[in-house]
Amino acid sequence: MCESCVDRIFSSGPAPCPVAGCHKTLRKAKFRKQTFEDIGVEREVDIRRRVMQILNRREEEFATKRAYDDFLEQREMIIANLVHGTDVAKTETDLQRYAQENLSSIRANQALEAQEATTFQERQTLEQEQARLRREAARQEYENERRELLAGREDVLSRLAAGRAGDAAAIAREGQRVLLKKSSARRSEEERIRQKQAVLRGSELRKGVAAPTTAGITGAPDSGLVKGLKKIEVPVPDKPYDPFGGLVPDKRDYYTLQEHYPSTYLDPIRQDTRMLAGGYDLREYYSRTLLEAFAGLGCFLDEELSESGSLDASKPVATQGAAMAAATSGGNASKA
Amino acid sequence: MKFFIDDLPVLFPYPRIYPEQYAYMCDLKKTLDAGGHCVLEMPSGTGKTVSLLSLIVAYQQHYPEHRKLIYCSRTMSEIEKALTELKALMKYREGQLGHTEDFRALGLTSRKNLCLHPSVKREKSGTVVDARCRSLTAGFVKEKKERGEDVDLCIYHENLDLLEPHNLVPTGVFTLDGLIKYGEQHKQCPYFSARRMMPFCNVIIYSYHYLLDPKIAERVSRELSKDCIVVFDEAHNIDNVCIESLSIDITEDSLRKATRGASNLERKIEELKSSDAEKLQNEYTKLVEGLREAEQAREEDQFISNPVLPDDLLKEAVPGNIRRAEHFVSFLKRFIEYLKTRMKVTHTISETPPSFLTHLKDLTYIERKPLRFCAERLTSLVRTLELVNIEDYQPLQEVATFATLVATYDKGFCLILEPFESETATVPNPVLHFTCLDAAIAIKPVFDRFSSVIITSGTLSPLEMYPKMLGFTTVLQESYSMTLARRSFLPMIVTRGSDQAQVSSGFQIRNDPGVVRNYGNLVLEFARITPDGIVVFFPSYLYMESIISMWQGMGILDSIWNYKLILVETPDAQESSLALETYRTACCNGRGAVLFCVARGKVSEGIDFDHHYGRAVLCIGVPFQYTESRILKARLEFLRENYRIRENDFLSFDAMRHAAQCLGRVLRGKDDYGVMVLADRRFQKKRTQLPKWISQAMLESETNLSTDMAVATAKSFLRTMAQPFKAKDQEGISTWSLADLERHLAKQRQEEDRMKRETLADAQANNGFHRNGAGIADHDEFDDGIDEDLVMLDAQ
Repeated sequence: MCESCVDRIFSSGPAPCPVAGCHKTLRKAKFRKQTFEDIGVEREVDIRRRVMQILNRREEEFATKRAYDDFLEQREMIIANLVHGTDVAKTETDLQRYAQENLSSIRANQALEAQEATTFQERQTLEQEQARLRREAARQEYENERRELLAGREDVLSRLAAGRAGDAAAIAREGQRVLLKKSSARRSEEERIRQKQAVLRGSELRKGVAAPTTAGITGAPDSGLVKGLKKIEVPVPDKPYDPFGGLVPDKRDYYTLQEHYPSTYLDPIRQDTRMLAGGYDLREYYSRTLLEAFAGLGCFLDEELSESGSLDASKPVATQGAAMAAATSGGNASKA
Repeated sequence: MKFFIDDLPVLFPYPRIYPEQYAYMCDLKKTLDAGGHCVLEMPSGTGKTVSLLSLIVAYQQHYPEHRKLIYCSRTMSEIEKALTELKALMKYREGQLGHTEDFRALGLTSRKNLCLHPSVKREKSGTVVDARCRSLTAGFVKEKKERGEDVDLCIYHENLDLLEPHNLVPTGVFTLDGLIKYGEQHKQCPYFSARRMMPFCNVIIYSYHYLLDPKIAERVSRELSKDCIVVFDEAHNIDNVCIESLSIDITEDSLRKATRGASNLERKIEELKSSDAEKLQNEYTKLVEGLREAEQAREEDQFISNPVLPDDLLKEAVPGNIRRAEHFVSFLKRFIEYLKTRMKVTHTISETPPSFLTHLKDLTYIERKPLRFCAERLTSLVRTLELVNIEDYQPLQEVATFATLVATYDKGFCLILEPFESETATVPNPVLHFTCLDAAIAIKPVFDRFSSVIITSGTLSPLEMYPKMLGFTTVLQESYSMTLARRSFLPMIVTRGSDQAQVSSGFQIRNDPGVVRNYGNLVLEFARITPDGIVVFFPSYLYMESIISMWQGMGILDSIWNYKLILVETPDAQESSLALETYRTACCNGRGAVLFCVARGKVSEGIDFDHHYGRAVLCIGVPFQYTESRILKARLEFLRENYRIRENDFLSFDAMRHAAQCLGRVLRGKDDYGVMVLADRRFQKKRTQLPKWISQAMLESETNLSTDMAVATAKSFLRTMAQPFKAKDQEGISTWSLADLERHLAKQRQEEDRMKRETLADAQANNGFHRNGAGIADHDEFDDGIDEDLVMLDAQ
């Protein structure tokens, strides 16, 4: 539609579409210039814009390349459906649902995209600026060179005019030499500047590259529409460091060590300053005695016998005795 | 004649050899032994091709590796010439060795030149021939035939399948004509015979494009092994060939055709869907699995190959959004529409590929990656659809190639959009130039792949420019001078007219009547004194037109007319060839003629003006490029930023190599003679940039002449040249017989030994031992000579 027609029909607010049979209500604000020659492509791009804004998953979010490619194809299918008007209702609802479910990730990706665009812009302008500067420098250099050359020639001429007749060759030679020296000095200088520029350029590039990768990726779990997304792992908080690797050094299997065991023999010591002054600690004594008393209780002879089976007949008796003694003392201790 | 270079026996098919040919061969051998690249400049008309071929063939046959030779030349006539030389050489070798070597050499050129099919060969345009040939020879057509459908096949191509695949043509050297004749006799296709026999050839001779143009190179030159010796002859323009092979121009018209092509594709897809949906599905699953699998189906009848894709990319799968045929077509359509939109601008725009891609993405949501696969995907689709009339899809293919290139390379390319054809035009005719700025990109695969690349031409000065621009390192770069028994060419620089006013084609004074008149007088004077033909070169068509019309007004043309016929080269090829023919006739029948042509035109590149066809060449003005062109500006900037070549250095280098090319046209051998005139004040300073063989022959006194002085010099020169000159006078100086060669060798060795001895004497006292050594060496040399004589005796 031409601009004046749009003005004529829609300047007084929304009005129905002038095309016969189309009952949509249009607004003036929604009219815009056509970008593409082919109206079909224009329409497709419009739809594409909308779909792309919703389905804006990035390649990094997918577990495999294949999954990403499948996603791309699926998106293409959705767009094609909308363009050709097949299954529009279902596709629309799918899209809407997806958009609601994945609001946060869509936002995040949009932000990322915008950021990338701006950094690219910045880099572009920076590069252009630098190219301009370099061009300027090259021109300047060339002019300087010319000027120097001319000056050198003038200089030689004036000296020739002033000097004696015999010196002519010497002066000319010297002039030549000066020029040569200058040009070689300039070349090395040039080289240096170039290297510096190259280094600068390199560092800028690195900076530019580093920026977009810092942004983290957050995503929702698999939604109904998009498949093959990377599983998002919730990182498990680290356990405190255990130097013994699960072994508890002070663990007792059969008893618990207590502060105080009533004993007529030991009780006086508790108050005896002569003993305590030397650093004697009764708890030490308790612990040692109890350990000795329970030592060996973790061994089960029957099992070990059946395994080895080559022990003397006399030995079991002795061992048994020992075991009984241990048991009685153990019983005592636990009773105590 | 037969001689040795180190331990290598070389058979040279002529009884005499030029000293520079010998030096050239020695350096070639050095390069081949060292295994690296080299740049060699050898004067035109000194038998470059024959020395190259005889050395390399000797090298091939003598060493067990049998390294293959790939000889690239520029035009078809040069290819044919090289093949004829090779044939003569092999015949000579056969006579000398007494047996036929197992040797096969073939030349390859386009289907248009080699086709035998009665109706196809009558087509005029190369692309049509290609397309029709494909429709008769493609694999799927044959399958159809086997299925019993009624399709045409090319009988010449079919007959090939009946032969042994490694022995389609017998051993020997086939010129292009010879190959066509052989094909005619045996009813087999010369083009495909040559293509299929390539892996079995010792020598392949074809055009640059088969190696440099990535669109063809991969198809034709894929199977060549790494140790091949690659020679680029007449390579002074190689950087431009490289650049052209990667540059694409897109016009509105081609976009329109591309749209039509895309719509056709869409229709075909619909048809195929309704008739044979399985085929599309097959292609789809193949693409899902990855490109490599799809690649296996590649055949010689392929539609396009992808332009230089990095290898890692080829291993990747096609992106999902262009996997389905219909999606891909809509993708293409969108891209074309975008380009159309861009074409609507009213001012010139130049931008880099990244910024183009960003804008593209903003507008159409086309991302970089699918764009990169565009050419590949189109090939696959065309194959699946079994399209026959592919010439209709040419513009579409161009767009796809453009898409792939623009998405693949960030650097070294530039997009320039010019809405108007010229500055003064008012009707827009937009052109999108996608230009390659970096010659190294196209040639890099060649340098990477082959261990020895030899770049040679008559005019390559300054030599160090080429390694710089093409990004390679040389083991050797050498420029040879020309040994002459008499001074057979006279290079001069004319800086002033007879009135002592300076002449120049510089922009400020080029239309100055004084300058124009001085140029006119120069041409007139030379027309008066020179016998037979004169060639005059101008920097551009535009300048030539304006100056000729001014001469007409001044009556200069009328005066020239008294002495010579006047003929003019035009951009139209047929007109020019007619002019050239008339020129030749006029030179032959004694009327004499002057040919006005352009330094960058067709005449300056490929046409020889030997003997009476050119006794004088005048270069009016320095043939600088048109510096206001955007493309040139972009390239200059690129060269400055990346290769540290200054704008002025490059422009001057480029102008001088064209000037040297023009001058070289007139001297095509040692018995030839001619005058070379450079008429511009600015040549005086650029003298050093001429090739060594020209600048050495230029006397200091002849670098700053006025017209009358130049005419006087030329007159006396032509008079001397007109004296009888026997071939015997040249012997020992500019041509060597075997004895001369041996004398030279002995002298060289003595010299070497003397040097060695002297250095040794400086270093240590006991040099007696070495004198002994030298004696032995001398003795050996002497022995060789005797052996040679004995051999000759035996032979008799």
